[in-house]
Amino acid sequence: MSLGKILALDKLTNFFNALRQNGGIKGSLYKLYRQDELKDGKLVGEDKYGNKYYENARYFYGRNRWVEYNDKVYLNYDGSQVPAEWFGWLHYKTDLPPHQDPSRPKYKWMADFTENMSGTTGQYVPYSTTRSKVEPWVPKKAA
Amino acid sequence: MLRQPLTRALKLSSPARAAPLAARTFAAQPPAPEKFEVFIDDKPVQVEPGTTILQAAALVGVEIPRFCYHERLAVAGNCRMCLVEIEKSPKPAAACAMPVMKGMRVKTNSDLTKKAREGVMEFLLVNHPLDCPICDQGGECDLQDQSMAFGSDRSRFTDIHFSGKRAVEDKDVGPLIKTIMTRCIHCTRCIRFASEVAGVDDFGTTGRGTDMQVGTYVEKMFLSELSGNIIDLCPVGALTSKPYSFAARPWETRRIDSVDVLDPLGSNIVVATRTNEVLRILPRTNEEINEEWLSDKSRFACDGLKRQRLVTPMMKDSRGNLTPVEWEDAMVAAARALQDCPPGKLLAVAGDLADAESLVALKDLVNRLGSENTCTEQYFPLEGAGIDLRSSYLCNTKIANVEESDFVLLIGANTRFEAPLLNARIRKAYIHKDTDVAFIGPKVDLTYDYTHVGDSASILKDLASGTSSHEVMKRLESAKRPVVILGADQLKTPEGAAILAYTQELALRLQDKLEDKSWKVLNVLQRTASQVAALDIGYKPGVGPVLQDGPKVVYLLGADSGVVSRDQLPKDAVVIYQGHHGDVGAAMADIVLPGAAYTEKRATYVNAEGRAQQTLAAVSPPGKARDDWKIIRALSEIVGERLPYDSLDEVRDRLSQISPALVTYGNVEDNNYFAQARALAQSLQKPVSGKVDVQLKQLEDFFMTDTISRASPTMAKCVQAVLKQKQSKY
Amino acid sequence: MAGVLARVIQRTKPQLGIIGPLVSVGNGNVAVVRFQSADAAPKGKQCGAPISDCDRIFTNLYGRHDWRLKAAMARGDWYMTKEILLKGNDWIVNELKVSGLRGRGGAGFPTGMKWSFMQKPSDGRPKYLVVNADEGEPGTCKDREIMRHDPHKLVEGCLIAGRAIGAIAAYIYIRGEFYNEASNLQVAIAEAYQAGLIGKNACGSGYDFDVYVHRGAGAYICGEETALIESIEGKQGKPRLKPPFPADIGLFGCPTTVNNVETISVSPTICRRGGAWFASFGRLRNHGTKLYNISGHVNTPCTVEEEMSIPLKELIERHAGGVIGGWDNLLAIIPGGSSTPLIPKSVCETVLMDFDALVAAQSAFGTAAIIVMDKSTDIVKAIARLIMFYKHESCGQCTPCREGVSWMNKIIYRMIDGNASPKEIDMLWEISKQIEGHTICALGDGAAWPIQGLIRHFRPELERRMAAYACACGPSKAERLY
Repeated sequence: MSLGKILALDKLTNFFNALRQNGGIKGSLYKLYRQDELKDGKLVGEDKYGNKYYENARYFYGRNRWVEYNDKVYLNYDGSQVPAEWFGWLHYKTDLPPHQDPSRPKYKWMADFTENMSGTTGQYVPYSTTRSKVEPWVPKKAA
Repeated sequence: MLRQPLTRALKLSSPARAAPLAARTFAAQPPAPEKFEVFIDDKPVQVEPGTTILQAAALVGVEIPRFCYHERLAVAGNCRMCLVEIEKSPKPAAACAMPVMKGMRVKTNSDLTKKAREGVMEFLLVNHPLDCPICDQGGECDLQDQSMAFGSDRSRFTDIHFSGKRAVEDKDVGPLIKTIMTRCIHCTRCIRFASEVAGVDDFGTTGRGTDMQVGTYVEKMFLSELSGNIIDLCPVGALTSKPYSFAARPWETRRIDSVDVLDPLGSNIVVATRTNEVLRILPRTNEEINEEWLSDKSRFACDGLKRQRLVTPMMKDSRGNLTPVEWEDAMVAAARALQDCPPGKLLAVAGDLADAESLVALKDLVNRLGSENTCTEQYFPLEGAGIDLRSSYLCNTKIANVEESDFVLLIGANTRFEAPLLNARIRKAYIHKDTDVAFIGPKVDLTYDYTHVGDSASILKDLASGTSSHEVMKRLESAKRPVVILGADQLKTPEGAAILAYTQELALRLQDKLEDKSWKVLNVLQRTASQVAALDIGYKPGVGPVLQDGPKVVYLLGADSGVVSRDQLPKDAVVIYQGHHGDVGAAMADIVLPGAAYTEKRATYVNAEGRAQQTLAAVSPPGKARDDWKIIRALSEIVGERLPYDSLDEVRDRLSQISPALVTYGNVEDNNYFAQARALAQSLQKPVSGKVDVQLKQLEDFFMTDTISRASPTMAKCVQAVLKQKQSKY
Repeated sequence: MAGVLARVIQRTKPQLGIIGPLVSVGNGNVAVVRFQSADAAPKGKQCGAPISDCDRIFTNLYGRHDWRLKAAMARGDWYMTKEILLKGNDWIVNELKVSGLRGRGGAGFPTGMKWSFMQKPSDGRPKYLVVNADEGEPGTCKDREIMRHDPHKLVEGCLIAGRAIGAIAAYIYIRGEFYNEASNLQVAIAEAYQAGLIGKNACGSGYDFDVYVHRGAGAYICGEETALIESIEGKQGKPRLKPPFPADIGLFGCPTTVNNVETISVSPTICRRGGAWFASFGRLRNHGTKLYNISGHVNTPCTVEEEMSIPLKELIERHAGGVIGGWDNLLAIIPGGSSTPLIPKSVCETVLMDFDALVAAQSAFGTAAIIVMDKSTDIVKAIARLIMFYKHESCGQCTPCREGVSWMNKIIYRMIDGNASPKEIDMLWEISKQIEGHTICALGDGAAWPIQGLIRHFRPELERRMAAYACACGPSKAERLY
């Protein structure tokens, strides 16, 4: 066991690593504001929506892979913004990140990923198939 | 055909065969025959001679099962379900037809009785399809109920493996009644109803034995205004309602007691609803008005409540198109129009479905705005006593008493279509009491024979003065309980005042001579459900004179009969229409305020005999529509003339201030001041030369007369079917 | 309205014995009465015997002589009719009562008493006599012989009966298929009118009486008295509910008496020769002479006038030439027309042909139409054919008859082949009991009785057929429900 560990100096190193990696004090404060968390890790990849995926084995299992959402969504990030292929990596279904996985099927007809729109104006609302019970009077248009 | 010596003879010895007695004030009352005692299940009961076992059992609360027996129809005695054991008789007797005898001991619960019922039940089920799951009668089926109570617990019908059950082809009897004749148990209730009550001898049986079929002999529509009642009468699912087919089960519906407003009689109804939708309308027994029948229009026009509805306030936009707006905008616009209107130039017109509450609210509002111009669409002569004496515009005899009469004179009133159930009463009197009927007006089919006196109004003058040589004059003079019914439509003509004066003269001259001083002769049969309440409240009948003044604002309260039209109004007049259907009134309006129909509000209506009754809210008004009196009350606040009532009870207090009769529900007050009305009318007895005509002559005229029935697809189908039937050679 | 029944019930005890049959009365052609045990205190004759020719009423039964007025008068018809009429209705009714004549249409209601019901003071309505000549019962052919060969007996009978009940007219409702009979009868009526025997001032007695013939349209049910009245009125021939009985409210709503042709036709002779003469024939309560129709497996089928209470065997042996193949070849006899229960050979040996004796034998006298069946008969098929007749003729008005008879018909036709479950025999019995007594008219009873007779006496035969069928074809589908 090194001296650094005994004196918990590695924690300090990690902190500064994280601070540096996240863009200095200002950048780190912004990250903390946005994500409530400051982590350092290896950038594993980035999807086409601008979300970045990190991994750091130092954290315990379950927290050692994470995503940092595209800055554009600011605070409106949501778990469903992670596309399906990265979802599998994030949740340990595979250790192979999608961009390194040659066996993933890619077809023309595959639809683009969309996030869950529930609660927004873009949400899906089923329309009624029953006729309304009362048929209103429609006045004649003046000629 | 019914009125033949047989029925007359039956009456001679069998009072039980006569119609059941409702509460009658004027029943012919010979000294009551001596009562005697009989025993039903050892319970003693005192009965009059001629009572049947079934009636005697009903007196002690013992219900005897029956299919063919119906208290308002002749006894057929053919279903045999009511067999009961009589002590010392080897055979069971049909309780519906067997008169009791002194000391008779009837056992309705003995083994013999039970076996007989079980046997009959088994026979009925032998050829009855067991298709209850797809039968519309399920849940309200006499056969279902009684087979549960009296039938066997299992089937012995082995022949289901061999030849199966009988199947019968369905009949087509028009757009209202659906027939599944395989289910028929041949109780013949429909046949008896058709020939006795409806007066249409189109129904009957053909074939015999197990091949006997009930139906119209040739394929033919059931041309009657009362046809829907055979649906209620049918104890099984052989006759069901076509518009209501497969719509709901009876246990799913909520039933709300209400009152019909599509004819002036105010028949009592039950509105069956489910999920805020009126599914069907059934009659509710009221011996004073409709017994247990209902006319087809009242019963089947309820689908008109779902079409052509006003569901949102509307205003004319800059291009002159009515467009939906919010209540606030419509109310403010209406209030501004009312405020800007010079007092004398405001006209309010009440239509034929307006309730008493909205009538009084509108009148109060208009009066507060300084105008006296509140009118109804239907005219009534104001000369003489006018509408000051209630006896002048009501059916004073009362509906139930008509069947006690011995002579009925109809003057320009086609009761068959204007008030079908009143006509059914007259027919009942005609058949059971040998009442004769005379008619002044065009030749129409009243379902019974009548003396056609002619169609000239001068006949009435001769009758009134007693100078007529017509046989009707003699009959009227000698009648002990004459009834004179004048159709309100006759009063629209310029000679209306004279016709009313002569009718009053005739009726009161007859009334003065009667031994029975409580008998009233004079009846004026109104055409609409709102007219009596409107006249009671003080609306002026007819819009004519006010219209000529050129009103600036016209407030139409459901006025759709077209007596006010755009052409008669000044160019800049504002028309506010409040009502529930888009029809003539809404089409010409500048501002439309959506109100509630009669099934959607608790409201008071006064029927043609002056009986106040209330409807109850069965469903809520559609969309943004609101209770009518509340709309007027809200409007008054915006106008700045706040009406002093905030709840329905307070409106009704106001009604009772005007006339207590308006809120004594179910009661009808006796009228008086006949002599004064007659005296005031003396000067109006001017020569008349016109013809007496009626508006509704044929069955096809009957179905669509108001905004609700005009919006009803079923009624439209009826008109088409009747016209088609008329082209058929049968 | 309930006059008849009321009267019955108000009688004093001693009379009740005589009126016993009344309780289920008046059912025209198709009905038979159920009695209490016959002859509680027998006195007089024990059984009938062949009558001599001078005592026969129908002297031209076989049409060997002319049937017209002149010949009829030569045979004694219309003799002293005026004097009989002038004796008044009480005398006539009394003679009929003394004679003990019981209705010949099947129900056996005492005629004198029936006529006396019409003696009530008039309430202004006219009275009618209706003669039931709608002889449709299979096996019965007595009325047609009267109308063909002796129509004047009927016409004269109408006049006397009409006088007795105070009727203004008689309606003879004749079966539609009886073309020649109707035409002979019509000629006889025309002759009587021309001779002044009926019509205004009939026979010079000062009494006006008309006779009308109404032809039916071929419905068996119109032989039921109230259905017959309906049919004359121009309606569907469907029986009315009783009460009210026709004596209160009958034809056109007026008091009416309905009598069988034979009953009416014997009444003039009774009046001429006296009630006591008529009562000298037959056992107590079964007096008079009677037309018997013997058909089926006999050597010489015939209609013959004989004394009441004659032994059945003697009747067949003497007049019908015996059963084909000898008496021992006899299987069963239907003694009173198709609606009565059959009786097996053992009973036929001793039974007397009258109302009470046949009731004691669990059958009925009916119209005395004897249908003889020898051992070549398929008895189940024979009864099934009768049930099919009743199914076809049921008017369809009331439930038990409409549904029950057609159901019985289905079952009995399966039983011919044995394609049924033995349990269905009991079920069939119960069904017939469910029909009997539960219907408006007596047709239901008449349809139920043949079945009951079959099951009562030939149950082993039915079971044998079912066993044979099960052997040959496996168990019947009817077993499935059990």
